[in-house]
Amino acid sequence: MVELRDVSYQIGDARILDRVNVSFQPGRFNVVLGPNGAGKSTLLRIATGLATPTSGVVIYDDRPLESFDASELARKRAVLSQHVSLAFPLPAADVAMMGRYPHYDRVPTPLDRDIVRRAIDVVGMTDKRNQSYPTLSGGEQQKIQLARVLAQIWNYDAPREGEHRAHRYLFLDEPTSSLDVHYQIHLLDTARALLDYDCTVVAILHDINVALEYGQHFVLLERGRVALDVDHADAIAQADLERIFQVRAHRIDDGERGFWRFSL
Amino acid sequence: MTERHSFAGTYIVLAVLLCVAVCASAGIGAFTFTPRDMASYIGQALGWIPLNASDTLGRNVFFGLRLPRVLMSGLTGAVLGVSGTLMQGLFRNPIVEPGLAGTSAGAAFGAALVFVLGSGTMLAFTTVLGALAVPFLAFVGAFAATMLVYRVSSSFGKVNVFTLLLAGIAVNAVCSAGTGFLSYIARDPQARNITFWNLGTFTTADWRGVTIVAVCFVVCFGWSLRSGKALNALMLGEDEAALLGFNTDRLIMRLLLVNTIMVAAATAMVGVIAFVGLVVPHVLRMLRSSDYTFLLPASALLGALTMEVIDVIARLLIPPAELPVGIITAVVGAPVFLWILLRDNRQGASGFYG
Repeated sequence: MVELRDVSYQIGDARILDRVNVSFQPGRFNVVLGPNGAGKSTLLRIATGLATPTSGVVIYDDRPLESFDASELARKRAVLSQHVSLAFPLPAADVAMMGRYPHYDRVPTPLDRDIVRRAIDVVGMTDKRNQSYPTLSGGEQQKIQLARVLAQIWNYDAPREGEHRAHRYLFLDEPTSSLDVHYQIHLLDTARALLDYDCTVVAILHDINVALEYGQHFVLLERGRVALDVDHADAIAQADLERIFQVRAHRIDDGERGFWRFSL
Repeated sequence: MTERHSFAGTYIVLAVLLCVAVCASAGIGAFTFTPRDMASYIGQALGWIPLNASDTLGRNVFFGLRLPRVLMSGLTGAVLGVSGTLMQGLFRNPIVEPGLAGTSAGAAFGAALVFVLGSGTMLAFTTVLGALAVPFLAFVGAFAATMLVYRVSSSFGKVNVFTLLLAGIAVNAVCSAGTGFLSYIARDPQARNITFWNLGTFTTADWRGVTIVAVCFVVCFGWSLRSGKALNALMLGEDEAALLGFNTDRLIMRLLLVNTIMVAAATAMVGVIAFVGLVVPHVLRMLRSSDYTFLLPASALLGALTMEVIDVIARLLIPPAELPVGIITAVVGAPVFLWILLRDNRQGASGFYG
């Protein structure tokens, strides 16, 4: 479990996060929602160790974040960002191999190569593994980045007899914002499949309907504070959405599940 | 790295070519030595075969002038190649090199200070101190200039490429103004030295200089070889590198330091040589790969090879005089670079290699 306890973050006089208490549930698809400027990205930077909170602590599996060394933490959690471009050409497989950097010293072991091969297979990029990364389309690049973070926290292998499989964390920072619907579904389905392998997912998502479909735990941020922290999509009321996002929300039901339609 | 096994082939080809170039460079010049001569001199020096009195002159020329020069040009090429690779990795930009980021100009200014003002004071110290004064002040100048460029161009931990280029231009201008002023107030032999040295020359190479550059290169290169993975990760951006477990702040400081030490030592001995640091990694990226675990060793080999060839050309072009190597590197390097820029512009590629 990843917990943020009393986390505040301040730049000058601006308070970006104000005494935030959140715990991301293990084995679940956690979603962070909120309007622009609510502090979602800062929350993610602090939760992943990229930024240090002004006050408060971050706890990973009952251990404070500061007690991890950098590569130990890199083997425990990975982050998929919005869009990663490369100034120099590298084959896609080499980019995915970077996910194994925290695991090997100089030369990748056969296990590292095997994991990268399988990660590329999982995202369906095997036939383009030798293509130069900058020549791939945006969606394909994001698939390779997904393969990279999967390789970083690879957990698909069955634990050996009597061995406990370490828990891993995958953070998604608006990973679908520039992807078409096919890549969007593929990426989120792949992330959701990880839940069965002792992995916790924490995602910042912009599309509320997509978030409600995939999420199993919801944290709604509003001006640096937690406005709502619920386990079911149904627990998010129309009034909450209308207040937090400054829109009018209208619920549509197709018999199977509910959707929200928004207007100003 | 998925094709690491095939990098070995490139290393071998480069190493063989380098050996050939070193032998050719050692044999060609005002005195021509055949491989047999050279083998016999080395054998005599090592005591494997008895000294031959008739070889004394040849031996002295070979060991006193030719060999240090050959080693110096190889080492300098390796330093510049590796330095270009490191700086392009650090700044995530394919057009950065020591000449651009102020490193070379800063080193030149520091060294010129010793040449002109130090002749009466500093060089009057013991020979050891005098010998180290030039590289030391070159390092101080190079580090100050590079740090200034880096500080100005980076804000909030990110390097802004445009500010980097502009800061590099400004710092280069200040340093060359300083060097220009020093050569203006200098008396003639010193001024002539500075001019020659600003163009880069291996004529003054001696064993003391070779030792200094070799020690700096071996230590710094060894240190930078461990950063291949980190430089690769840095291609993704500073945040992504940090998320992969690399301490980016420490990495950047360490590489700036290592890079400055190498370049300052080489510049202090042979002067300013531009474009090698730019073209060598460029060629390797096009031929083979942008993987830094490959680029670092390969740019040392190709840098050394390039410099040996250029040094031979410098000796052969207008005998019995010789051209400063800096002129040749600029004449060859600048058009190659412009051609690469043009080609990429025409292809409408997003990056330099897109």
